[in-house]
Amino acid sequence: MIRFPSVPSARTAVSLLSVLALAAGAAACGGEGGGDASATGGAGGPDASGRSILRVAYEREIDVLNAFTSQNLVDIQFSMVEGLVTTDDRNTYIPVLAEEIPTEENGLVVRNEDGTVTMTWPLQEDVRWHDGEPFTSADVCFTWRFVSSPGSQVYNRHEYLGIQGCETPDDHTVVFTWDGVYAYYQGLFEAMLPEHILGEMSAEEIVNFTPYNRGEALVGTGPFRFAEWRAGEYIRVVRNEDYWRGPDVPAIDEIVWSFVPDDNTRFNGMKAGRYHWARILPTQVAEARGLEGYEVFLVSSNSFMHLDLSLNTENARALFSETGVREALFHAVDRQAIADQLLEGTVVLANTPINHTSPFHNPEAPPVSYDPELARRMLDQAGWQPGPDGIRVKDGRRLSFEMLNRAGTADRVAVAQVIQAQLKEVGVEATFETLESAAWTQRWRSGQWEALVSAWFLPADPSVTGLYACDGSNNMTGMCDPELDSIMERSDRYLDFDRRKAALDTVQVMLAQAHRSLPLYFNVVPELLSEGIEGHRGSGTNFGSFWNLWEWRLR
Amino acid sequence: MVPLLLGISIVLFAVIQAAPGGPEGALLESGRFIDPEVIEAYRVRLGVDQPVHVQYARWLGAAVQGDLGVSFSTTRPVAEMILERLPATLELMGAAFLLAAVLAFGLGTLSAVRQYSWFDHLGTGVSFLGIAMPVFWFGLILQLVFGVWLGWLPVAGTGTVGATSLGDHLLHLVLPALVLSFRYVAGWSRYLRSSLLQALRADYIRTARAMGLPERVVVGVHALRNALIPVVSIMALNLAGLFSGAVITETIFAWPGIGRMFVQAMFARDYPLLMGILLLGSLMVVVFNLVADLAYGFLDPRIRYE
Repeated sequence: MIRFPSVPSARTAVSLLSVLALAAGAAACGGEGGGDASATGGAGGPDASGRSILRVAYEREIDVLNAFTSQNLVDIQFSMVEGLVTTDDRNTYIPVLAEEIPTEENGLVVRNEDGTVTMTWPLQEDVRWHDGEPFTSADVCFTWRFVSSPGSQVYNRHEYLGIQGCETPDDHTVVFTWDGVYAYYQGLFEAMLPEHILGEMSAEEIVNFTPYNRGEALVGTGPFRFAEWRAGEYIRVVRNEDYWRGPDVPAIDEIVWSFVPDDNTRFNGMKAGRYHWARILPTQVAEARGLEGYEVFLVSSNSFMHLDLSLNTENARALFSETGVREALFHAVDRQAIADQLLEGTVVLANTPINHTSPFHNPEAPPVSYDPELARRMLDQAGWQPGPDGIRVKDGRRLSFEMLNRAGTADRVAVAQVIQAQLKEVGVEATFETLESAAWTQRWRSGQWEALVSAWFLPADPSVTGLYACDGSNNMTGMCDPELDSIMERSDRYLDFDRRKAALDTVQVMLAQAHRSLPLYFNVVPELLSEGIEGHRGSGTNFGSFWNLWEWRLR
Repeated sequence: MVPLLLGISIVLFAVIQAAPGGPEGALLESGRFIDPEVIEAYRVRLGVDQPVHVQYARWLGAAVQGDLGVSFSTTRPVAEMILERLPATLELMGAAFLLAAVLAFGLGTLSAVRQYSWFDHLGTGVSFLGIAMPVFWFGLILQLVFGVWLGWLPVAGTGTVGATSLGDHLLHLVLPALVLSFRYVAGWSRYLRSSLLQALRADYIRTARAMGLPERVVVGVHALRNALIPVVSIMALNLAGLFSGAVITETIFAWPGIGRMFVQAMFARDYPLLMGILLLGSLMVVVFNLVADLAYGFLDPRIRYE
């Protein structure tokens, strides 16, 4: 037997663990492990230099810092850039750079005899861009010219096209002339662009202007100013010492948005006390609730999960044309079980597309009860009788359809699987076709599918016309009800709350009775926060949970 | 090499384009209401409304002049983005390679000289585990143990923002390098063990022992050098595997390398960025194959290239 006496056995284990031992030694000497992070309770308050640094574990690296052209959520942008309005935690528009939001009641919206509308926005005074230049009404008109230009490619550009002109009677007043009445006007101008920096460029040049997109030339009016973007790692913003709300705000000196794409790593990072804030998965909520020094905040997202039935394919038309059949299918779906068991009770059931936190939500919209017996009876009455394999048959056609699933959306696929099992209980077969994300989107927009589970992320404005109108640009189900169309279109042109609410109440009831789409639940976005954070008031709209960063502070 | 890369670029371009969906998918997947005119204008601006062969000709025409195009999602030059991320990937690959080599040589040699000992059995068991264990799972377990429970190591990133030092950076490197290297420690140590066992039975080893050379010299100098020939060639070929393995490791540990950028580019259907990264990967495979060939000649003087 060969001997190798010069190497003692104990050194074997030492060599295996040498790197880890080195690491442990280094950890003991300081660094992140022993520095600003504590084992529990978040990433600590002020650091050794007394600076208050908010550490955020953000789920992705964003594409560009231009809030209008970014295809991602714009949490980071809104820490630096402000608009005329934002939305608060009650799903309501509130003024930011506007002194107040114009309405007919306050006399700032005036209907003209020729059908046009004059809208006056008074602006905050003494607001300065981060480079010291004053923010004026000219910047608002410049922003409008950019967004409405064909080259801007802003996703909701069409909503700005009703504006015919923009005037600046003084530095702190903007007057828009609209070609008609558009109720969604409050949600526009979510950000402002600086004319003194971008004014000489065309819209295409602004879209491709790297210094602004990457931050070097980004100036906003927000509570934080751009400091650094380390590719693939983080974006760092620092306190705006000249913030217009006053010298005491913001209370935080710096925010570091670290890009941590993996859901489990983000959660582990929070558990290790490296970050103050992270979005987590609904399935992590139960464990997160037990973490010392943290609290879970369930943000009611302005997004609702729904089961859609299409009438665009031959099989779908044969199956779903009768309202009674569609209603029967919906009665077979146990939404409460999905909410309680699959999503661990974190979500709120939806009976209408309009979020329950919105003032336009109609709580009277009729819910679809879970009643498999009723579902069976309704299908029997419609002529669908159980076949030899248990699946119902009518005129030789099986009550079988295909559900289109998007790979990688585990939550939606799980919901679809539960629905599949529940439908089978009443003799309905749902088969699955799962496509990769981009392929799914392409098929979905083509309308060539029969059923799917999906979610819409709505703005705070309650209009659902684009989703359900016959020619709605986002109506992929083929739904078309002229009577519903006329009410939705009217609702889009009511400026006073009461009339719009009444119209939208009717719309929500009609949608429920049409049984084309079954609202399942309103999504929640679980956020895990260090208990050291004060002032957080999560918002589920596209403005996100960082809408009031100027109020945040770290203990 | 140029015709090879040209052929690879055609295949890559075709495969990328064959994937359903397009760069506008990212716009649509947000779940927001999108103006259909905006979607079409977006496609026109990016040039993806053109036939595939026209797109390829445009890309190739620019690429031969050193211009890999502009990223669809960030509007930045692809070459600039790749160069920005390349050092992080090379650092991780290098650290993982060194770590794997040191551990594999130690484990493989000890396993061979102590064949069928408890250490050898343990080494075999750990190797099977290393080869079978999914990288992402291993990474998360290490995060939990060393990052959350023990608190020794950071779980993500390359350094503590605002408090970066060399020690801090090395701490951040430990877990991703260990995870990326583990599979190769397992594989290479088994190859070395088997190769060394074969060498130790050779006549020249018996002669060396008969000459009274110390066992350390017999194993360390005479047997090991010959046993290394097949292992080193495998190590060189595995370098390309390290590059692709970095995709998962970088994503789990939020390491700002090319692998993570590739994942983002894939989901965004960022064609120019994908082409740039894949072409770089292909180039690496070609180069590492060349390194493997050269390593043969270095280790075995009998092999010479005309």
